[in-house]
Formats: sequence, structure tokens, C-alpha cells
Amino acid sequence: MSEIDELRDAVADVLRARSTAEALEAAERDGWAPDVWSALAEGGFATVAVPESAGGSGGSVAQACAVLEACGAASAPVPVAETGLLAGRLLASAGLSVPEGPVTTVASPGVSFSDGVLAGAVDRVPWGRSASLALVAGSSVVVVAPGSGVVTPGRNIAGEPRDHVDLTGVRPLESAPVGPDAVEDLRRRGALSRAALIAGAARAVLDLTVRYTGEREQFGRPVAKFPAVAAHLVQIAEQAEIAAMAARSAAEGAGEEGEPAALDVAAAFSVASDAAGAVATAAHQATGAMGMTREFGLGVLTRRLWSWRDEWGGGAAWAAELGRSLAAGGADAFWPTISRGLVASS
Amino acid sequence: MIFSPTSLSAAEDALRHEVRAWLAKTLPTDFRPGLGLGGRHDPEFSRALAAQGWVGMSIPEEYGGAGATTVERFVVVEELLAAGAPITAHWIAERQTAPALLRFGTEEQRRWFLPRIAAGECFFSLGMSEPDAGSDLASVKTTAVREDDGWRVSGTKVWTTNAHLNHFFVVLCRTSTADDRHAGLSQLIVDLSSPGVSVSPIPLIDGELHVNEVVLDDVYVPDDRVLGDIGQGWTQVTAELAHERSGPDRYCSVIGLLHSYLAEIGVPDDRSAAAFGRIAARLWSIRQLSLAVARSLDEGEAPATEAALVKDVGTIFEQQTVETIREIAALEIDPEGSMLQQLLAECVMNAPSWTLRGGTTEILRGIAAKALTRGGAR
Repeated sequence: MSEIDELRDAVADVLRARSTAEALEAAERDGWAPDVWSALAEGGFATVAVPESAGGSGGSVAQACAVLEACGAASAPVPVAETGLLAGRLLASAGLSVPEGPVTTVASPGVSFSDGVLAGAVDRVPWGRSASLALVAGSSVVVVAPGSGVVTPGRNIAGEPRDHVDLTGVRPLESAPVGPDAVEDLRRRGALSRAALIAGAARAVLDLTVRYTGEREQFGRPVAKFPAVAAHLVQIAEQAEIAAMAARSAAEGAGEEGEPAALDVAAAFSVASDAAGAVATAAHQATGAMGMTREFGLGVLTRRLWSWRDEWGGGAAWAAELGRSLAAGGADAFWPTISRGLVASS
Repeated sequence: MIFSPTSLSAAEDALRHEVRAWLAKTLPTDFRPGLGLGGRHDPEFSRALAAQGWVGMSIPEEYGGAGATTVERFVVVEELLAAGAPITAHWIAERQTAPALLRFGTEEQRRWFLPRIAAGECFFSLGMSEPDAGSDLASVKTTAVREDDGWRVSGTKVWTTNAHLNHFFVVLCRTSTADDRHAGLSQLIVDLSSPGVSVSPIPLIDGELHVNEVVLDDVYVPDDRVLGDIGQGWTQVTAELAHERSGPDRYCSVIGLLHSYLAEIGVPDDRSAAAFGRIAARLWSIRQLSLAVARSLDEGEAPATEAALVKDVGTIFEQQTVETIREIAALEIDPEGSMLQQLLAECVMNAPSWTLRGGTTEILRGIAAKALTRGGAR
């Protein structure tokens, strides 16, 4: 087993006893899951891919995505992607350290920063009410304390906090100038994080659906034995496989220390975003009315698939970006670009 | 299940560029690409390719091949298919027959056939399907009757691509009347120029004549042309199919179409940009998956279920691509029109066959579903 598989399994082990049905219900009600968070944070899993010099656990983008696959599979209701791969790396790129506790971030084109004071608001901030907020404002990265500004609670289809935060008049705890690529890099990591979460959740949907259709009997045999139902299982397996391959390829492409490439992320998120819908549809069809109940446990996964596919711009926008970029490269560059793939550096 | 992405080594990547450069030099500038493995039958091209060492690459050096890995062959074949190169003459011999000979053939058969296959001089067709044996392959009726030092074969094979141009085909036939319908099957290598073999075309919906019916009337096949063991035909055939399902031939049929779409139309608006981008994203992901399966074969695994999944995903991708490109190209297709229109016409008329050949979608999903529900997939 490779190191990355071991890491994914280690996170799954941590979450198995903690990200339970009861914990998920509580998180949806309270907007926070302290036990899930502290278990992941104590293991150092929330800051993978953030250099140790910035207070992180170190590691590559691919390792961070392996953690996210496990989080997606367990529906972990905490901002692991935001704290490490997104905000943590953003802060580190500006020479800042990651604050204690959960950190979140979001694209923030409308926030300005002058004379030490922020102006403007950000929307759909994951766990904005509970986490420190790291943002690009103008040409700086800023960090504000949890609960700063005016927080208006919101949520996504899965009941995960997505808050509106008005930062006007807020003084950041810290700020530092940031490079010109920071915003674009953050956006790419954001899309990649959703692809990895989707890949993990899709795999969990497959396991759940295969188990249920193998047990549920109608007409005297398990429903999975009916070819029409079996075809749904195969569809889920295919989509889970291709979403994982896409997310992992884009993550591996970042290498040990680098950032993922634009084309890779666009392709990965487009594929994962489409897979999210296809997997959810097939799983609900295969599990029938039972799958629609709160108790069954499919909903915590499918509601996340339906949410994550639209975040960070959504799959269609990334597909359009990919299409425009390939067209701009010209017909003769099309196949060489698509088949570039991963090439070992040694 | 759930593969990890694989990287090409620097040498493997260099091989890709070498093949690409050779193709650019060798194919004419006004070349009309074939649809992946539907490329033209061109013995001269096959021999030129063989002279580069790129036919029968995975055949060991002692039998005239290059002793290459599955991934090295993948890299070469993918470039050939992406370019729509005329590879049909040697395609089956190199993809299917050579590995079968290596696994099941006698030393004498290997020494005779393999160097000729690797030289691009010995071409094979498949002799599996029959009028009453399609997806249910085990119901073949073609029968071989024992004679002193060989067999007499009679029956009818169908969908035999290029039987009128190739030299041999491997015939799946019944050599005993055992109750177990799988146990009585064997594979015989039949010379297509033998007395008693008659080949007649089965015209397809686009008017093409490369698919045939082959009638075998008391055709003599000597003992030294039995492939593998008598009675082991079913095991041998299923091994062949599992091994060969996941290759780049399952997603490369549309590369020429995508190229000509970009060359002639491009992405004039957001809708076409998103549609084209989605196709490209899928292609990018599926080829990583297919490559990962090739790597796992080199590492000694036999991912039959994953291979079936790749074929299913790949061929459905190809069909969806044709529909999407047709929609965003927004034109009436003239089969004699521009390159894009010619390729669209060919794609529209051939796309249904992509989810039929090499195992229908339904059969593949059956294989995958069995593995999933018994926990057989990793």
C-alpha cells in the first residue's frame, strides 16, 4: 500500500467513530462539530500541504487531497479543506502562519484593504461563524478573528454553514503582501478540493448502495440481482472511479511542493462535478424510497455531492474555461495537451 | 478498485514523442484520419511501422518483437489511434493473436507466427461470432471433427473484419459434444486461403464492405494449428477478452473529430466552450484510467473488472462526444463536405458499433456488476 493510501485510511479510521449519524445531525443543528474537528486537528490532518514553517503538517497537494477524499467519504462536517489546502497554503505563500483552530477562506474580489481597515463583504463562507478568515484583499492577504464583522448565517443543501460576512470596518489580526498568482492559485485549489471531496463521497455512496441492494429482497431475491438495478451500481462505480482518477491526477500533477495546473484542475472538477450528479441520481434510484429517508444515511452524502459540485464556480464554468483554453491553443495542440499527463521528473 | 494515477517515465514519454514525430513525417499532409481502430487496411503502412519496431512490441525479442512492456505498447498504440493511422491490417494480430500465441501457443507456432506478426507480414481476423452466437458466445455451432492428424471444420462465422484481406483467423469451435457447453470448445488457427473457406461481405449501413461472413465447408486444419489445448477454448477466449478491453482503442475513435472541430469551428461562445471542455475533461480522465490499468497489468495484476469499466466508460464517452460535437457544430452533415463533416458522417454512422464490438455495454455491465456484488472488485 502506498503512503498516500495509508494516509487516506488513517483519516478514515479517525472519522469512523466520530463522524457518525448522530454527530452529523448535531453538526447540522449546531453548525459545528467540535469532536470531529479536534480529532482531525490533533492528528495534524487539517493542515496537510501547509509547510511546517507556517505551522502546518507539511506534505503535498496530493496528500491533502487524500485527506479530503476520506473527509468526503465520511461527510466530515468541518472545514478541513479550507484550513489546510486553501487558507493555510494561502497564508504560507504570504509568509504568514496558520492561526490556531479552524480557518476558512473564499474568493473575495469585492473586499478592499487600506489604512489597516477592510471594506466589503464576502458570501458563502464555509463555517464563517466559527473559523478564522483568511482572504486576499487588494494586494494583501489578511487574517481576521472568528466572528469578526457582521456574520449572517447561511448554509448549503447539506446543511453545512455557508455564511455571509460583512467585513467593513474590521481590522485584521495580521496582513502581508501577496504575489500576483495567489488568487488564481487559491481558486484552483478550491475547485480541486471539491473534486477530491466528491471523489470520496462517491466512493462511499457506492459502498452503501452495493450493500443495501445486496440485502434488500423483492420478488424473492436481492434487488442487485436484477440487471436494471445492477446497471445503476455499475454506473456509480464508473463515476466514482473516474472522479477519483481525475482528482488524483490533478493533485499528483502539483508534485511535491508545487501548485496544481489550470488544465488539470479544470478537467478534474468538470468530471467530478458531473459525476456528483450522476452518482446521486443512480444511488437514489437503486435504493428506492428507503434511500430518501433521513435515517438511511445516503442523504448526508448525496446532499454534499449536490452542494460541492456548484462551489468554487461550479463544474460548467471550469469546463468552459478548459474549452476556451484548448481552442486558443489551436487544433494541433489539442492531443499533445490532453495526453501530456504525468511524467516522472527523474 | 479506484486506481491511482501513473506517471510515464522519461523514456516512455520520449517514445511517445518519437512516434508522434514519425507519424507527422510519414502520414500525408491531407491525410484523412480513421476513427481509431477503424483506420484503413494498409499492409505497406503496417510494414513501415514494423520496421520501426512498433508492431508486436510486447512480443519477446527471441520471437522477433521488442519485449516491450504493456505501458510502452500503450504509448505507441495510443499515438497511432489518436492520429487515426491505417493500422487495421496488423491490428488484431498484434493486439489479440500475438498475446494468445504467447500464452497458449506451442513453441513451433510461436517461432513461425510471431516473427511474421512483428514484421507486419502476417495478418489475423477474429473467428468468434456466429449467426446464432453473439453475446452468448458459448453457443457457437461451428464444429471440428477429428481426422488422423488434424481436424475438419464446418460452420459459419460472421462480423469477420477484413477476412478478405487477412491471412488467418482463430476460429472458436466445438470439438466435442460434452454436456458442459463451455468444455467442448477449442481454438483453431485457420488459413483463410484454405480450400473450403469462402468469404463474402456483409454490407454495413454506411455501405462499407470490410465486414464478412466466412463459411467453412469441411476445411482441413492440421494438428499443429490447434491453439492451446483441445477443450480449453472458452478459458482461452475469456482471458483474451479481459486482457484487451481497456486499451486506448476505447476512447481514441473521436480524436480526429475533435481536432477537425477545433480546426474548422473552435468555441465561438460559452455554450460551445463548456461543451467542448467537458469532452476534453472526460477524455483526459479516461486516458489516465486506461493508462493506470496498463500499468497494473505490467505489475502482474489482472484487473478484468476495471478493464470492463474502462471500456464501458470509454465507448459511452465516444458516443456522447459525437452527439455533442454535432450539436455545437450546428450544421447539416454532408458526407463529402469538409473534413469535419466527413468525420462527423462516419462517426454518426459508426458510433452505434462502439458499444457493441468487443463486448456489448450490457455484457460488460453484467461482468462488472457480478464483481461489485460479490465484492470482487478491489
